[in-house]
Amino acid sequence: MDLQLFEIIPKTGPMFWGALYTIFVGLLACGLGIAVGTALLLMRNSRFWLVRKFVGIYGSFIRGTPALVQILVFYYALAPLSGINVGPLTAGVMAVGFNSGAYVAEILRGGLTRIPKGQWEAAEALGLARLTVWFKIILPQVFNSVIPLLVNEFTMVIKITPLLSTITVVELTRASQMLYNETFRPVEVLLLAALIYFIICFSISQYGEYLQRRSVKFRL
Amino acid sequence: MTFDFMAVWNHRDILIEGILNTLLISVIAIPVGICIGVFVCLLRISKTRLLRWPAIVYIEVMRNIPLLILIFMIFYALPFYGVRLSGLTTGFICLSIYGGAYFAEVFRGGVEAVSEGQFDAAKALGLRYGFYMRRVIFPQLYSYVFPPATNIALTMIKESSLLSMITVAELTYAAHEINGRTFTPVETFTTIALIYWGISIVFLKLTATLQSRIEVGHISTPIAIR
Repeated sequence: MDLQLFEIIPKTGPMFWGALYTIFVGLLACGLGIAVGTALLLMRNSRFWLVRKFVGIYGSFIRGTPALVQILVFYYALAPLSGINVGPLTAGVMAVGFNSGAYVAEILRGGLTRIPKGQWEAAEALGLARLTVWFKIILPQVFNSVIPLLVNEFTMVIKITPLLSTITVVELTRASQMLYNETFRPVEVLLLAALIYFIICFSISQYGEYLQRRSVKFRL
Repeated sequence: MTFDFMAVWNHRDILIEGILNTLLISVIAIPVGICIGVFVCLLRISKTRLLRWPAIVYIEVMRNIPLLILIFMIFYALPFYGVRLSGLTTGFICLSIYGGAYFAEVFRGGVEAVSEGQFDAAKALGLRYGFYMRRVIFPQLYSYVFPPATNIALTMIKESSLLSMITVAELTYAAHEINGRTFTPVETFTTIALIYWGISIVFLKLTATLQSRIEVGHISTPIAIR
């Protein structure tokens, strides 16, 4: 069978909307992931043993179960457990965000080890409150040093979003499934989808590498 | 809201079959992936451009498209070219070539961590390529490569859940099947989440033991892929 890309191209409108939707979902989930990751970082350094233990178990659970299963659990369990009826988009973004949060927490922990101890002592000597020290002194430096890794985390999030097609979020994968069911041309449609994903992820990861190189160059 | 875990327990035979299939897929795909990884890594670090570039393209393509798209491509597109593969075969192939690219990157990182002098010394002694790679360079890699490779292997076990979308009867598919019969989504999916968690905890324990067996100096924990 020969490829007939030209027959497909006029019908690919929904796929490009799907691609934009993928990026939109990715941004939302990544934002949530960073918020969750920061919270986990603070909890990891908490005074209470139980809170620290919780962070460990949470990380182990997220890294020990497939993202697909997490999404399914979230989608099916959130409504009966909390009584809030959420749509697939909300459930999906939350699942991906909480998943990403565990990894962001690891990244931030790596960044935190680079902060010299003197920073804490200096802040304490100035009599600043603990939360002020975190949010005004430590976290800005941590985030500054891990920006390239966070950019890479965004490509990871983009690569999990196809799983949201199982819970009927119409992003790129779902849009292309609908298109090839309609046109019976899975080869062309899937090649195009792969190409779009490649362009999105490759450009972001190259940007991340560029930032990495630059940050190495400018480090003292 | 009551939970009916008995519904899941009554269909435990489906779950057990699912667990066995998941393990079977992982047990085959991970070693094959490692072999592909070693091979591609050797291509990637070669000095010849003709060998290096295909490896770079392969690695970058695999690392930048989602596994689900790859699975769909092989499962739905190959039949148009007269190649008909069962879901299980597709699963093995996809997971192996997907994991292979990540393994190749990890191994390359390890080879680059070995100092240049080792290569020079081996060449100066007149050792052949195959010999010094096998007996000089690779034995030094274990400590660098083991933790990230463990992460990738674990990722492959988890990614095998995507094969449920092409009707491979592994654990996630078993959950869908039980859910279809009993309509207890919360219980079913929580159960398989716990089972996956158990599998990965056992896997990490096993690899940690293995790692301490083959002696390691410094251990780093890089961030896993998914």
